[in-house]
Amino acid sequence: MDVSRTDPGPAGAALSRRSLIKRGLLGGALLAAGGAGFLALRGGRSVPLPPDGLRVFDPRQFAVLDAVARRMIRPRAGWPTVDEVGVARAADRIAAGVEPSAQKELQQLLGLFENGLASFVFGGRTRPFTLLDGAEQDRVLAEWRDSGLALRRTGYAALRTLVLAGYYQSPSVWPAMGYGGPPAIFSQTGVPVWRGGDVPRPDDNGVWHGEPLQ
Amino acid sequence: MSGRILTGRDHPVDTILHCDVAVVGSGAGGSVLAERLTARGLDVVLLEEGGHWTRASFDGREDHSYPRLYQEMANRATDDQSVLILQGRNVGGGTTVNWCTSFRTPGEVLERWRDQHGVKGLSEEALRPHWEAIEKRLHIAEWPLERMNANNRVLWDGCGKLGYSRGLVRRNVHNCANLGYCGLGCPIDAKMAMGVTLIPDAVEKGMRVQANASVRRLLLGDRRVAGVEAILLDPETDRPTGVTLTVKARTVAVCGGAINSPALLLRSGLDGNGNVGKRFFLHPVVIMSATMPEPVVPWTGAPQAAYSRHFIDRGPGKVGFILEVPPIMPLIAATVFPGTGEEHQALLERLPYIQSTIAICHDGLLPEDVGGTIRLRDPAERRVSIEYPLRPFHFEAFRAACKEMARIQLAAGAREVISLHSVPVRIRRPEDVDAALDAAPWEAGRVRVATAHQMGGCAMGADPRTSVVDSTLRYHGMDNLFVVDGSVFPTSLGVNPQESIFGIARWASQFVAAATA
Repeated sequence: MDVSRTDPGPAGAALSRRSLIKRGLLGGALLAAGGAGFLALRGGRSVPLPPDGLRVFDPRQFAVLDAVARRMIRPRAGWPTVDEVGVARAADRIAAGVEPSAQKELQQLLGLFENGLASFVFGGRTRPFTLLDGAEQDRVLAEWRDSGLALRRTGYAALRTLVLAGYYQSPSVWPAMGYGGPPAIFSQTGVPVWRGGDVPRPDDNGVWHGEPLQ
Repeated sequence: MSGRILTGRDHPVDTILHCDVAVVGSGAGGSVLAERLTARGLDVVLLEEGGHWTRASFDGREDHSYPRLYQEMANRATDDQSVLILQGRNVGGGTTVNWCTSFRTPGEVLERWRDQHGVKGLSEEALRPHWEAIEKRLHIAEWPLERMNANNRVLWDGCGKLGYSRGLVRRNVHNCANLGYCGLGCPIDAKMAMGVTLIPDAVEKGMRVQANASVRRLLLGDRRVAGVEAILLDPETDRPTGVTLTVKARTVAVCGGAINSPALLLRSGLDGNGNVGKRFFLHPVVIMSATMPEPVVPWTGAPQAAYSRHFIDRGPGKVGFILEVPPIMPLIAATVFPGTGEEHQALLERLPYIQSTIAICHDGLLPEDVGGTIRLRDPAERRVSIEYPLRPFHFEAFRAACKEMARIQLAAGAREVISLHSVPVRIRRPEDVDAALDAAPWEAGRVRVATAHQMGGCAMGADPRTSVVDSTLRYHGMDNLFVVDGSVFPTSLGVNPQESIFGIARWASQFVAAATA
């Protein structure tokens, strides 16, 4: 069964209300289930973990992040590789800074990507994402991106942002983008911070020298 | 005696402070209000959830600045991720990270609030002395054409060629070096943000500032508020330290902005007859990006210098828009620009040549445009639910705006213009603009929409059945609780909001002072 055939295209192709409701409910239930479910337990690819450990994701979720990163950032002359930047590790660190409830949603989303049952319902596949070849992975990502279900587009947007932020936060990508970095000559980092109290306010702290303003 | 600026580490144990006025939120509204009240001799405590960051740490790096200075690490969004929300979170709030654009509130907007929302006394005449004082203190002045960067020149020149009206942006800067890093905190304090102007002015006069204080609830009695209760956050990790700070006050002003102010009221059990969190507007923004024949280096130079309000009034039934230019830095470019893989990287390799123009849509004017809704998730959670349904009238405006932006960019010499659809539309010739963009998918989650202007959620008005605060910004039915920030706007503004918030906060300080006497 290829359920993806009934998935409407990006230009807003018609989808019957009945099937939208059915699929919407199913999608919601699957997201809530996250990585749980019997098909989810089928083994995916495992990748080496960062020596300093993971803060938010488990090894399965980490492997999905790593796989997505390799599709969203391609080997290209002048660009650091996914491995050099450590994209999945960086994404894990970024996720460590978000609210616990948002962390849980990201974990569920990655679980859903890998989850065989979800893949079957969405795309007629039962193999985990990490075991698909590159072209198949690209197809799955495009299905999420262009899905008629807002839930999947939302999930795609969140995953894309997390993975790209994990790569592009690194100053090592600046040269490839023609960016020379912040103008260090103007940097005043490390100057004393005025916090009031007994210390007089320094003149370079925006002191007003005009007449009093009423 | 001088006050102090304290952080989340300065109270090792639960603490109770007493003051005349507790001001919750240190952005454009809270800072102006707090300074005015302090100048009147009142004892003010200014609470801020974000950290106290200054030029001592403004190193121009996106990966450092977004987590420190923005709500949710600059990744705040509507629940469905369809609208990216850029919003400040630090001592100084949005004024620390905005692009310095300073407009007075348009007269027709104030008239609409008077005529359709029953707002009394808030006229251009009433606001003028406040705007004049603020403009003087913050050195607000037109940015000269000869200093306009190449990025803004595209909008300026394109509008000139097409005969569209255009203007020069007024900016709150002093000795500006035209660096372009306004959005990451000005490294040389040339931006006249609240953190280097009115906040230290008031601290010198005795105001106490408490950074890293997340106010969880108002301490409510019958028709009165007795103060606020905050949890302190660690300045480095932003996680709760376990310490509670209670501030007892004769008057409380909620100034957390259009998302956090309604959330605080709701957490405290105040729903304003169901109006709190409603009529939330955010000037939804769509973007077109052009490849120019010469570098525009979109991260350098005063970020906003040219604008066009040519399309602000598009006639009945249509949403108007203002055209401006955003600075583009590498990290935000990577996440906001469409695509992935080779195509995405090829686009980013051309970053120095890419000019982006934005259309800021003037929402909240059509009768059917009731805006979005702020709701609580789990009350213990800091993240709130933000819904902003994109409706057909939004997409009509988005499409029209993208067409105009493409025409402007092509008129200014662009080789190619792309839309920020998840699969971008590519346009090389003016005659292709209409057909290409008419064929694009205009649906939430298929085209990048963003906002840097959050308004509404605690609308002011005469009628408690349809508004949250009255024309003195006092919460209906409470004697000493005020809301003083952009959340009180009954509609959006059609201009960048900071100076409107400054002006209204300064004007409203008289009512807050009177309630505290």
